[in-house]
Amino acid sequence: MYINMSKIEELKAELKTLGREYAKIKTLPESERKAFGEQLNAKKNALLAAIKAEEEAAESADVTPIDLTAPFAENAAKHEFKTGTKHPLTQELERVAKIYRLMGFNVIEARQLDDEFHMFDSLNFPKEHPARDGYDTFRTEEGFIPPAHTSTMQYRALTRFKNDLEKYGQIAVVVPGRVFRNEDVDATHEHTFYQCEGVFVSKDATLGQMLATWKNFFETYYGQKLNIKTQPGFFPFTEPSLEFQIEKPKALGGKGDGWLEMGGCGMIHPNVLRTAGIDPETYKGFAWGGGIDRLVMLKYGINDVRYFESGKLNFLKEF
Amino acid sequence: MLISLNELKQLVDIKIPDDELFKLIGSRLVEIEHVEDLAPKYKKIYIVKVKSAEPIEGTHLHLCQIDAGKELNSTIDPEHDGYIQVVCGAPNVKKGMLTAWVAPGAIVPATFGTAEPFEISARPLRGFMSYGMLAAADELALSDDHGGIVSISPDHVILTEDNRLRAVRPGDTLARAFDLNDKIIEVENKSLTHRPDCFGLIGFAREVAGILGEKFEFSDKNSITIPRITNPVPLSVQISDYKICPRYEAHVIDLGGTGLDEPVTDFLKLDDIFFAKAGMRSISPLVDVTNKIMLMTGQPLHAFDYDKFVAVGGTDTPEIRVRLARKGEKLVLLDDKEIELNEHDIIICSSDTPVALAGAMGGKSTAIDNSTRRVIFEIASFSLYNLRKTQMSHGIFSEAITRFTKGRPATDLDSARHMLFDELEHFAGSEPIASVIDTDPALIQDNQFIRNVVKITTDEINALLGTSYPEELIIKTLENTGFETKSKNNVLEITAPLWRTDIHIKEDIIEEVGRLLGFDNIPFSFPLRPFVCPTVDPMFDFKSKLRIVLSDRLGMNELLTYSFVSKSLQEKVNENPADSYQIVNSISPALECFRQSLVPSLLDKIRENEKAGFKDFSLYELNQVSKKSWGLNEENVPEMQTHLGLTTFGDYYATKQVLRELEKSLSLNFELKPLNTSELLEPLHAVAIYLNDTKVGELGEIKRSVLKRFKLDNQTIAAIELNLDACLGAKTKKKFGIKLSKFPFVSRDLTFRVPETASYADFETKINTILSKISGIIYKLEVVSIYHKENESTKNLSFHLDVASEEKTLESSEVSDIIETIVKELKTLGAEVV
Repeated sequence: MYINMSKIEELKAELKTLGREYAKIKTLPESERKAFGEQLNAKKNALLAAIKAEEEAAESADVTPIDLTAPFAENAAKHEFKTGTKHPLTQELERVAKIYRLMGFNVIEARQLDDEFHMFDSLNFPKEHPARDGYDTFRTEEGFIPPAHTSTMQYRALTRFKNDLEKYGQIAVVVPGRVFRNEDVDATHEHTFYQCEGVFVSKDATLGQMLATWKNFFETYYGQKLNIKTQPGFFPFTEPSLEFQIEKPKALGGKGDGWLEMGGCGMIHPNVLRTAGIDPETYKGFAWGGGIDRLVMLKYGINDVRYFESGKLNFLKEF
Repeated sequence: MLISLNELKQLVDIKIPDDELFKLIGSRLVEIEHVEDLAPKYKKIYIVKVKSAEPIEGTHLHLCQIDAGKELNSTIDPEHDGYIQVVCGAPNVKKGMLTAWVAPGAIVPATFGTAEPFEISARPLRGFMSYGMLAAADELALSDDHGGIVSISPDHVILTEDNRLRAVRPGDTLARAFDLNDKIIEVENKSLTHRPDCFGLIGFAREVAGILGEKFEFSDKNSITIPRITNPVPLSVQISDYKICPRYEAHVIDLGGTGLDEPVTDFLKLDDIFFAKAGMRSISPLVDVTNKIMLMTGQPLHAFDYDKFVAVGGTDTPEIRVRLARKGEKLVLLDDKEIELNEHDIIICSSDTPVALAGAMGGKSTAIDNSTRRVIFEIASFSLYNLRKTQMSHGIFSEAITRFTKGRPATDLDSARHMLFDELEHFAGSEPIASVIDTDPALIQDNQFIRNVVKITTDEINALLGTSYPEELIIKTLENTGFETKSKNNVLEITAPLWRTDIHIKEDIIEEVGRLLGFDNIPFSFPLRPFVCPTVDPMFDFKSKLRIVLSDRLGMNELLTYSFVSKSLQEKVNENPADSYQIVNSISPALECFRQSLVPSLLDKIRENEKAGFKDFSLYELNQVSKKSWGLNEENVPEMQTHLGLTTFGDYYATKQVLRELEKSLSLNFELKPLNTSELLEPLHAVAIYLNDTKVGELGEIKRSVLKRFKLDNQTIAAIELNLDACLGAKTKKKFGIKLSKFPFVSRDLTFRVPETASYADFETKINTILSKISGIIYKLEVVSIYHKENESTKNLSFHLDVASEEKTLESSEVSDIIETIVKELKTLGAEVV
């Protein structure tokens, strides 16, 4: 430890001498006084600053250096903060819902036990049609269905917000929710996963609006302009029906070549509107739906979908 | 489904590059899973002539000299008189035959693209150099035949590069001679569920023409034409119910003695290649006919032996009857399996005896074989609903039933029939000897099948798509794929072709126009919205708020666990599995019951995390639960609740403190009442949570007996199970009423000795009551300690009181007055000031 006391004293002495210089001002002609005064002031300020710096250095002089690269102090225990975590899926659901909310969509949540009417009938699936097999639904003894897609909520979204059609000329709803499929589980397949459904109805809804709306969602979600492409699809509850893909975003290492399948969309089938008590001659609508788990997996580079419902803290504490 | 690009090009004029075509098909017709280029697979495989084949003594091998054309002969093997030496193990190799030779450096096609591709080389075998390999059909991935090397007809015709036809010659590539410079498109069947017409090459090609903007030209005659029959044999057909089978045609052909035992050459045929490309195999001339028609038109056919059919019926007036099976009826199928028929199975009967499971599989008793002389060809349409059940109950997943369950229309059997009679012309001497048809009369009007007609305007089309396509373009686009259009007073009257029974409403036409012209060409536009704040499911926000308190503030970890739990988990926590909705088709017993509460799922995750090295953690989940005993809601679906489930290492008080934190953040006023009984919690260390006199949950320590079942009995673990719907619906909210004073607070510490059994809350409440009655003061009362010395019959309650006046600085005497009042009043409760 070394304190340069003599240096401070030296500076202070100099300051004292300088103070005496001020007396000379009176001896000078009027015209030179201002310049002389300014010169003295500058010198004085410089000295004061130098003294302050020396004094501060003297105060810190007994601070010993430490290893800034070490995680914690020598001979000390690690700091144990009790850090809480939120599940990555619920966080993504909140974020997705927030973006849609900003776009003007009401948010309702899907229920986890539903029936044949909401799962199939209200969605224009003919009774006993093979298309019903494509969903690998679970069933309870009573015939209730843990829903296999969030489209199960379309009828509810349409009926619950029907008043909006009169009041605001449109229905705009998104439905995040947990869905279930009777599938063998592996790294990329889960029997339990999350989807988000969207429904929009107005007098002049178009397929062009459908594509623009979902595109805009993903552009906001990924914070960049994105190209999209579509494929013809088949869903009994939309006509036309499309599969929707986005260009692989830069955030996920996209270089403008790859495509990501994001889900299905289309114009709501007139029978679906009719079932919900909306006149399809007057009103048109579009609907879309896609998975949430995959968004999260892509975002964090998670390679096994089974982690989500594993309840493992060494996974959850990463978020 | 596999589609050969070359076959497609035979039917449609394709001018654009292949990759562009695949992109277009992907964006306007169907999802393409994969395109396999066959050219590299069949590279360096040539047609050669065996010049000599001498047995190698003591082996089954032959030493062969082959002619692969001058150029190859000299470059590959300079040593053997201008020919190439190959050692061949096939029994059928013989001098003079034409066969296929895999040159050194080529990959055996059957192993191409697999994990272990097998590259052929030049190497010594039994002391003889062998250059390359003579190949069997299975090695060429053209059939399953490994009986010997392929034999190629010297008359096999090849189209040369300069478009001349000539007989095949040694040195020709196998790919050129057998159309293997091709690309195979693998289509995702699911994306064509609604398009039975596209499950045949013709229908697929029609759509490809459509998306290319070309008119599809194919002689699809729509009239019902049957060849003239001179010597009819007796046969009739009768459908019991047109709902299960709207149309059934049976065409009987006399093979004229040149039937199935006609000497079939062993030569490799183009048909072998045709089937191989479709992922099928050539089986026998008759079966090949039916399969080829199916691959081309999408319509499956079935062939019965007419004479066997008549014999089974046992009558002079044979009749095909199509009906539903009766309970207890049995049928032996082609694969020798006897099945018990279900009442939803459609069956084909000879008179009343079942002979085939319609659409799925033929029966043994009428199977065609080498002795078959007269054949019944069935061309029919069956209810996809019945066939779907048949498929599921008997587990039959053939190419035929896959197509039938897409809904082959009764109105689209003509092309299959035309093709049948065309194909039969190749069977010399064959002759039609009966044709019988039964059709649902409701399908026919004025001798024509009724077609679906849709009336729509150009505006309606453009309004839904968001486009501005002119009428001429729309008309041309639809007509390209077989629609007929009439335009009158701005209304388009569009008649769907017979194979498009899926066209019913305007939106179906709009989809056709949008798709064929490219959905990707639709301009983007946004809906206009009113400036109204959107609403959010209150529960969605409520959960979000809870996560902030529990995770961000209290350092807990949010979990998501399955909604389905096992009976054994429920039994561990003394829940009654019978009160759970049971999943009848659950993946495993671990996922059988819809859960009734969340805490059990969390308890199930503690041990595992502890083993992973985590200590002193708190888990929680926000999710839905249901119980049968809650009944159904107004929608007639199970009543559900969203719960908070929470577990933490610690005692009753640990969870109580969590609840107090929640109370603050959620502005709720929970009341805690004694819990008389609980299946999960220890009643002496747990309470019921009430909100406005309604029980909304429980909190406290998990019973030791329960913890034991989770192997956690060396710990104290407390839990909260809270019904959030009830919290969200609570009417009275907690009032804070925070007041601050500009005058100083005076502090006093107070300790009371009370009986050990006394309730803490009684004293706190009392003090609060006293203080709140004194006007003009602001105070804060905090408990500092609750001290109970072992073996003493009393305990000490210590409070810290801060008090101030709203109007002035309090005098010491005024504070003492307040304290005195408290001490006096508490005495009545048995509390002695210490």
